Amino acid sequence: MKLILDRIKNGIETIKDPLGENVYSYGRIEVDSETCNLCGLCEKECPVNAISIMDGKLEMDSRKCIFCKLCIDVCPNDSLEMTHDYKISAIEELREKIRREVYSTFQRSLTLRAVDVGSCNGCFLELSAIGNTYYDMSRYGIHIAASPRHADGLIVSGALSINMKEALIKAYEAIPNPKIVIALGACSYDGGIYKDGYSVIQRVDEVIPVDIHIPGCPPSPAAILEGVLKIMKNK
Amino acid sequence: MDELKEELGKYRCEESRINNLNELYVDCSQSNIEPIAVLLKNQYKLKFIAEFCMDTGKEDKFKISIVFTNSKESYFVILTYTTVDILVSMQNTFSQAHLFEREISDLFGLSIDGGSDVRHSVKHEIWDAKAFPLRKGFPYKGKIKENHEIPNYEFKRIVGNDAFQIPVGPIHAGIIEPGHFRFSVIGEDIENLEIRLNYKHRGIEKIAENIDANKLNLLFERVACESTLAYGEAYALLIEKMLNFKVSREIQSLRVALLELERLYNFLQDVSGICVDVGFSYPAKKLSYIAEIIKQLIERVTGSRYARNSIVPMGSNIDFSQENKRNILDTLGGIRNRIKLIADVTLESFTFLDRVENTGIVKNNIAKKLMMTGVVGRASGVDYDVRKSFPYEIYGDIKKTNNIEHIGGVFERYKLKIAEIDDAFKFIEMALSNIDNEIKKNRPIIELEKGMEAISIVETAKGELMVYGKMGENNKFDRIYFKTPSFTNWKGLTIAVLDEIVPDFPLCNKSFNMSYSENDR
Repeated sequence: MKLILDRIKNGIETIKDPLGENVYSYGRIEVDSETCNLCGLCEKECPVNAISIMDGKLEMDSRKCIFCKLCIDVCPNDSLEMTHDYKISAIEELREKIRREVYSTFQRSLTLRAVDVGSCNGCFLELSAIGNTYYDMSRYGIHIAASPRHADGLIVSGALSINMKEALIKAYEAIPNPKIVIALGACSYDGGIYKDGYSVIQRVDEVIPVDIHIPGCPPSPAAILEGVLKIMKNK
Repeated sequence: MDELKEELGKYRCEESRINNLNELYVDCSQSNIEPIAVLLKNQYKLKFIAEFCMDTGKEDKFKISIVFTNSKESYFVILTYTTVDILVSMQNTFSQAHLFEREISDLFGLSIDGGSDVRHSVKHEIWDAKAFPLRKGFPYKGKIKENHEIPNYEFKRIVGNDAFQIPVGPIHAGIIEPGHFRFSVIGEDIENLEIRLNYKHRGIEKIAENIDANKLNLLFERVACESTLAYGEAYALLIEKMLNFKVSREIQSLRVALLELERLYNFLQDVSGICVDVGFSYPAKKLSYIAEIIKQLIERVTGSRYARNSIVPMGSNIDFSQENKRNILDTLGGIRNRIKLIADVTLESFTFLDRVENTGIVKNNIAKKLMMTGVVGRASGVDYDVRKSFPYEIYGDIKKTNNIEHIGGVFERYKLKIAEIDDAFKFIEMALSNIDNEIKKNRPIIELEKGMEAISIVETAKGELMVYGKMGENNKFDRIYFKTPSFTNWKGLTIAVLDEIVPDFPLCNKSFNMSYSENDR
């Protein structure tokens, strides 16, 4: 009875549009090329080498960025600014054809198998957060499967540790074709802050083909949802 | 501590010195380390908490350190000895010593002398047998070679007509980190559980030796995401202890408020998880919803849902205004009663109680032997909380008593987690009442000298976290060692599930809720 009262009092808690603007979220870092004098301080400061100066221009690789904001603090001209745009995932071009194939097979739903290969657990906390009643991923037809045999694809997080390599390959092979792979977070792209560790021997995409990287450290629930929906969208 | 120093002088110890007010370093020799360790345990009732190794960089010599604590008088005793290739086993004196020794043996290549458990832990079958990555001779950025012929790993076997094994993992059915569980079952009852971890080993301790001290907090925070703030705090305390620096009371209070927010969402998720595994979905869903609200609150205050890069040594990396303070108080005020209402409903529901009561029990003497810490330890009657025994920041003023239960089952852990949630609300309110002015972002540059060393200790949501750091050249550390709470607590789970049925395993597991990533590092 108390629970029914609680339910009536608080109403529906699932939000209508989880992909709306979030003014507190961290997002892509923008460079003001007019004030930037290419001094290179931010390039040196970045702990994950996400910044490079090429052809007289500052290049930011969002896939490597761990959003620590050290580059913003060190910039003498305040040329760098962090926006709240978290929608920064991009589908790998080479895999585009397969994505269409997957879509035509599975229509509007996607069942994924979650594999962690060596992260800090942040990506998985956020992945479980999109299952809560606030974001509610199942309304989009996204589910997490208990077996790779029931899955349409893998969702991988973390820097690939030598001890997990065999398990990752086995899980990938156990999924029926066609299959997709979603990589979560900076460390699943190139190892992130752990890339110099002795047991992080390869990048994830050197072992299995990755369709989409969702950047962030960890990517927020909205960013994960946006990335997964991008894969499902038929265009 | 001074008495102890004099007393140990009689045992032909080469040198002893007191550092940072509460750390007594005693240099012993390989031959008298064992009798001194036994003496500290039996006569002085000190508690063994960790054992680690350092490469001295000279003539292939290694320095082994064994850390003891006295939690009543808040000091550390660190026994050290130098060795070339042999590790003196303490397995007969301390039952959990094998965990530390096997890790040292795998990463430094020392052989364990006199131990009964010498299996590999970090080193899985795929590793090149001759790779000892934490030695200074192993180059940074060097990678371990893969073995092509992979030998089998022997699990413990239960023999009998109806006996069988259930292998689970490393990849689990859900959104969980990797680890392998091998259940040996007769009928429905679990006779033995063997847990194999370290699938996520990333070599964080080696990476930490090669990052500048000014950026090292970023790596600390990425040992385990759910304890981001606690790890950041451990790093800040480590540096501040080395430099004998104290931050202002307002920053101390801000840190405590943030740390308690982190504990709050962790315990809410744990309590919600226990409800999921019992099958009581309304509290499960609503409590995880409230945890989400708290993460959003942290994002509003710090700019990151896990408050990354917020706590930095000697300052604060975020601006904190009175508006933020009101924001926190308003949000928490709105949910406090609701959590209480939902928790009361679960405690009144007999179907819920039927599942959790008398399930997954770890008795007090076993918990002490296994060095269980945190909520899991206190549920079994281990009266120890770092916040009270080694008070940091403003905990000395606000943390007066420990929450404690005695039976040691799932229900006790559940009740304690609810008590910790209650405490967190109280502590946040107390801490925020100390902040009357705006706190400005201030990140001083850290400069440390070679040879400085210190130990810091923090209570995370999982238990006691100890960090040892020793400085090397170029403002980089020579050695960082983490004794994480999950490292010793995992063994408790294998005891808790004995004689329970397999379907109760998730319930026991969730009530422990140990972290794989901080164990594996």
